[in-house]
Amino acid sequence: MKPWKFMFAVALALACSLAQAGETAYTVRPTALKAKPYTDAQTIDDLAQNARVEIVGRRGSWNRVKVNDKTGWVKMLALRLGETAQKSGDSGFKSLFNMASTGGSGSNMTTGVRGLDEEKLHHPQPNPQALETVHGFAVSKEEARQFARTGTLAAVRMDYLPAPAAK
Amino acid sequence: MKIGFTIAALLGSLALPAAAFDFSNLDSLKNALKTAQSVGQQVKQATEDVPEPKEIEMGGGIASNLLGAAPPLKNPAVQKYVNDVGRWLALQTERPDLPWQFAVLDDEDVNAFAAPGGYVFITKGLLMHMKSEAELAGVLAHEISHVLRKHHLNAIKKGARTGLMAEFAAQAVKEKGGNPNLLKLVNAGTELYARGLDKDDEFEADRMGVVIAARGGYDPYGLPAVLQTLQSLNAKDSKLALMFKTHPALSDRLSLLDKLMTGRFESLEGQPDLAERFGSVMGGK
Repeated sequence: MKPWKFMFAVALALACSLAQAGETAYTVRPTALKAKPYTDAQTIDDLAQNARVEIVGRRGSWNRVKVNDKTGWVKMLALRLGETAQKSGDSGFKSLFNMASTGGSGSNMTTGVRGLDEEKLHHPQPNPQALETVHGFAVSKEEARQFARTGTLAAVRMDYLPAPAAK
Repeated sequence: MKIGFTIAALLGSLALPAAAFDFSNLDSLKNALKTAQSVGQQVKQATEDVPEPKEIEMGGGIASNLLGAAPPLKNPAVQKYVNDVGRWLALQTERPDLPWQFAVLDDEDVNAFAAPGGYVFITKGLLMHMKSEAELAGVLAHEISHVLRKHHLNAIKKGARTGLMAEFAAQAVKEKGGNPNLLKLVNAGTELYARGLDKDDEFEADRMGVVIAARGGYDPYGLPAVLQTLQSLNAKDSKLALMFKTHPALSDRLSLLDKLMTGRFESLEGQPDLAERFGSVMGGK
């Protein structure tokens, strides 16, 4: 396989894993299975509450799902991921993250720090040296803007959402 | 007659039972007025602003305590990245000039913390469950909202004895020999993380958070996506215990966001999630 094809295959595989490929989910309310990720797209099927689907992607507020023999789009918030779909700590980036922070094979995971339990919150020990370290991580406003430009993030104006009406 | 009417109205507003006072008895009238005055003072003190340098000083003390429990992750690239995302988001808010400081704590637990003055920490345990920069942005934006609304500061004020916050606020920033008021407030603020904020504060941070992430140009569904991921985890896992104890149920949070976001965010759905950049940084490239 040509090198660029291999890279593309890797990138595609990564993109799929990023989009929660193959995860089981259940509908939390009756909801429409749409042909495209738009509210006014054609409805392929009407799903009942507690319908089981397989998530194969996400785009904005929509999940691409397989259900029965059909593939279509369902509102993300109409779904609840199945508990058995993901074990604790078993996320897509866990193994990558190990490499980054330990530079090793991930053996650090089992001896990881269990830090912030309630006991330590009731009897705290300040760590001023760590506070200095954290201070050193801070970035300037200009750095942040540059970071946004590099990611082609464009600021948007939007008002805060109103609180739900009091009952 | 006017004064009598005012006093009667004031006493009426205190909802004292009719038998508790007798207009013909001046002493009980005086006591009722004293109560009214001290309640008024308490309300005034609870809502008086703490000057920003004092807020930052208090937040620094609380942050130091958190770091005493869980040190910063030893990964400068990840730390810088989290600060880049966080500071960019903070620029989209009403407090862009705070000395915002973000950090990832080397802690397996799944949690995030905001302290007054602009300190925002997330645990490695939480970061590991995220899949994109937009998801990171959603969580940071939620924590930033707590600082914007001074949720922790106000909760500390409410819990402190009358006058403590005002005394602290009035003292010079650098006190020789330490500041006992600061210590009391910092420790109260630290304990708060074991109890959690009012549910309404968390719901407010959720609905402000999705807007701040959208303002930063991100896919605004990052925060709901993280909440859904957490919902799929084993609820009995001890790494989630403190977070579950101190926050409203995930299903309630998601349901509220669902209702609020439907119909309002359609035009923003094309905004990027920057999963690739997130992946590069986490993967150590």
